[in-house]
Amino acid sequence: MKNNRFKLILIAVVALVSVWSIWPTYRDHELSRTLSAFRSSEDSLKFAIDHRAEIEQARDKSLKLGLDLRGGMHLVMEVDLFDLIEQKAWNKDARFQQIMASVRSSAATSGDSPVELLAAEFKKQGIPLSRYFYDIRNSDREIVDKLNKESQDALVRAKEIIRNRIDQYGVAEPLIQTQGARRIIIELSGVTDETRVRKLLKGSAKLEFRLVKDHESLLRAIDTINSMPAQGQVVTAPADSSVAPALLAGQAGAKVATAPAPGRKLSDMIGVMKNGLVFTPEYARDYVSAMFKREDVQARLPQDTELLIAAKPELTEKGEKFFPIYLVKKSPELTGGVITEAKATFGTENVQPEVSMSMNDEGTSKWARITGANIGKQIAIVLDGAVYSAPVVQSRIPNGNSVINGISGLEEAKDLEIILKAGALPAPVRILEERTVGPSLGSDYIQAGLMSMIWGFAAVAIFMVFYYNKAGLAADFALVLNILIVISVLAGFKASLSLPGIAGIVLTMGMAVDANVLIYERIREELAEGKMLKSAVDAGYSRAFSSILDSHVTTLAAAFLLSQFGVGPVQGFAVTLMIGTGASLFTAIVVTRVIFDLLVGSGFMDEKSFG
Amino acid sequence: MRLFQKTNFNFIKHRKIAYAISLLLMVAGIVSLLVRGLNYGIDFKGGSEVVIRFSKSVDVSSVRSIIGQAGVRGSVKQYGMERAVLLSTDYHGETADLKGLITRALADRMPGNPGEVVSVQAVGPSIASDMKWAAMKALGAALVGILLYVSVRFEIKFATAGVLAIFHDVLTVLGLFSLLGGIFDFMPLEVDQSIIAAFLTIAGYSITDTVVVYDRIRERLRGQKPSEYERIFNESMNQTLSRTIITSGTLMISVLVLFIFAGPAIRGFAFAMFAGIVVGTYSSIFVAAPIVFDWQQRSKTAIKLRGAS
Repeated sequence: MKNNRFKLILIAVVALVSVWSIWPTYRDHELSRTLSAFRSSEDSLKFAIDHRAEIEQARDKSLKLGLDLRGGMHLVMEVDLFDLIEQKAWNKDARFQQIMASVRSSAATSGDSPVELLAAEFKKQGIPLSRYFYDIRNSDREIVDKLNKESQDALVRAKEIIRNRIDQYGVAEPLIQTQGARRIIIELSGVTDETRVRKLLKGSAKLEFRLVKDHESLLRAIDTINSMPAQGQVVTAPADSSVAPALLAGQAGAKVATAPAPGRKLSDMIGVMKNGLVFTPEYARDYVSAMFKREDVQARLPQDTELLIAAKPELTEKGEKFFPIYLVKKSPELTGGVITEAKATFGTENVQPEVSMSMNDEGTSKWARITGANIGKQIAIVLDGAVYSAPVVQSRIPNGNSVINGISGLEEAKDLEIILKAGALPAPVRILEERTVGPSLGSDYIQAGLMSMIWGFAAVAIFMVFYYNKAGLAADFALVLNILIVISVLAGFKASLSLPGIAGIVLTMGMAVDANVLIYERIREELAEGKMLKSAVDAGYSRAFSSILDSHVTTLAAAFLLSQFGVGPVQGFAVTLMIGTGASLFTAIVVTRVIFDLLVGSGFMDEKSFG
Repeated sequence: MRLFQKTNFNFIKHRKIAYAISLLLMVAGIVSLLVRGLNYGIDFKGGSEVVIRFSKSVDVSSVRSIIGQAGVRGSVKQYGMERAVLLSTDYHGETADLKGLITRALADRMPGNPGEVVSVQAVGPSIASDMKWAAMKALGAALVGILLYVSVRFEIKFATAGVLAIFHDVLTVLGLFSLLGGIFDFMPLEVDQSIIAAFLTIAGYSITDTVVVYDRIRERLRGQKPSEYERIFNESMNQTLSRTIITSGTLMISVLVLFIFAGPAIRGFAFAMFAGIVVGTYSSIFVAAPIVFDWQQRSKTAIKLRGAS
């Protein structure tokens, strides 16, 4: 009996801890019900203020629901480390571009670190890495180490910058973590405007101030290009897959963007207006933009120049949209790294929103020199390769202020502010995986999950009583405790419960009784051999133990592997299955045992109680 | 209540029939895998899936034609939920574009019955191939892990036979998915991550079942002569039969509840589990233990078992 006292205390402690851990979840539910029951918003506000501490505490400690149940976005993003590697390389020749292209294509199907892939390719070709990277005296190993370090830093920096952006945008409890060598997992709940969030996350915010070339050079450049044959289509034109949007849209199986018909002449897509403005109509924008990136096109342009398209269209009198084209210097005068502060405002002369920026000391003095030297000329403000505005410099700007205009709405201005303040991403990112569940579907899933838990429990519990009589009741009690433990562990460790997680709990109900079935069947056998009830129970427990242990270890092992290799939704399932299996080891061996000892001793159970 | 009291089936004697059935199942599965292949979900092949829910009931074929005319290539099917359809496409670019295109097209052509995009899932091809790898690694690691554990707890013959039985179970379920894939609208039976989860759970369950039979055999085998093995194997299997059936029964109840109530996202998983439990229960009785027995007969040495009980 002494032994039993210890077990009883243990059971009581486990049950109490479980209830204590689940209690905030219950309170949270109750409080939000009370809140929504108020007729007037004043009453509910008053209640919320009066009970603020309690509400917040309950919410903080309550069981979190997964993204699929409350609605939200799950994103896997990849940092384009090849872009970073290219940034680090010098002396880039055709051979280098060719190697990079082949490494990129092999990386598309491999999860290996880009640096290792690159090193392997260089080795295969017999070229030392030092030809392109760092110092000529460095060994391959040293360069690989350095590049690896740079890549790791870039990934962590990208994560921090994305976290900054999300924090400023304002999403409750975002989950942001890195995965492997180049991926970032982001989970956001309750996002209403997915498009905006996506843009906010992806914007690399590469801000550049570039000198605009004179008008004659632009006209001459367009003339040269217009005489070139319009070969290729949008789908094949961007050979440089470093441009993430082009890659994604270009390989699309479904035809979403309307591509201009092949065989169209280039001069149809680039026009010159009477006032000398060079433009491209809206339908041809993607095509023309891809063409400007082509190497044979760039080779025809004057030294160190580049053709860029405006970010925002202008309207003709008929309401057609067209995008101005600019010829700008390829090397920027100043980059966004010098920006310290950004603020979205409305411009003074019109209601167009704009973003005003201030620079650090270094930027301020450079900006003063640049503006002073280029009075009367245009300086283009280029963000992620698109020209936002190209104002004419009126006078020298000594205080380091500058303004981005040409923004279509206040929302975009706000997002720009966020992105500029958080800083530029070290390398472009792209979205590899995206799962979005709307809140309405989420509440359906909650309903479905609840129904399956209730029915699952009812069916298994009734079956056990039906088949094993009073012993079945003991198993049912153990089952309740088991589910309590699973939910309390989830709540206690701040893990979230998703629909697959609920599936794991329902499955656990079916599996958890297995241990009891093993024991009861054994007890029945022992009873059939004519043993006394007490010794039959003892023998049943001790003989079934080996089977129970083996079966639980194997199930735990499978669930553990699943939690290690599985990603996202499957992990939730694996975790609940693991907790449930572990809990069932405790409930079957300790809990039901104590129940029997007590009940058999008190004469409440007899030989017939096992069915 | 008792369902299987004092059974006395001669499993070992009729094991050749069971072998034949198992072989037939596996060959049929392999042939179907080779001929029909598998219906991969977007997790493993990349692409996008969009669930659109309408405010009134809707004719799937008209939605299909509207979406087709909007320029989205892909399949449109009834989703296993009221008033909802599922669009699957290879597209894996900007989901915003896709969503906008669908929403606009539906608003234009079906103004009386607005459709809302309630869920979008898009998986790029590189991540899809990663997931495939991870799934294979997980399955492989599970098999090796189980092989080692059972070898330590019992011995290598038992372990190998147990792993063969798991292999048999997974292959049969996979074959079933290949055979029935795409036939039913309410469960497309696509192989995705949740099916891998089902396979691993089946592997765990199958070996659990097998180990219980082994355990009884081990208990009874101690100190017996090899000539007695056939009788002991048979008796052990009969003695554990009741437990085996009852446990699969309760588990099947759970899985059935999931199949009915947990919604379309879980249905494929529940189906895989159900099939896996049936095959797993069968294989622990008719495949694993008989293989140990046959192997034993050939090697003609007494079984030396580890493990206490």
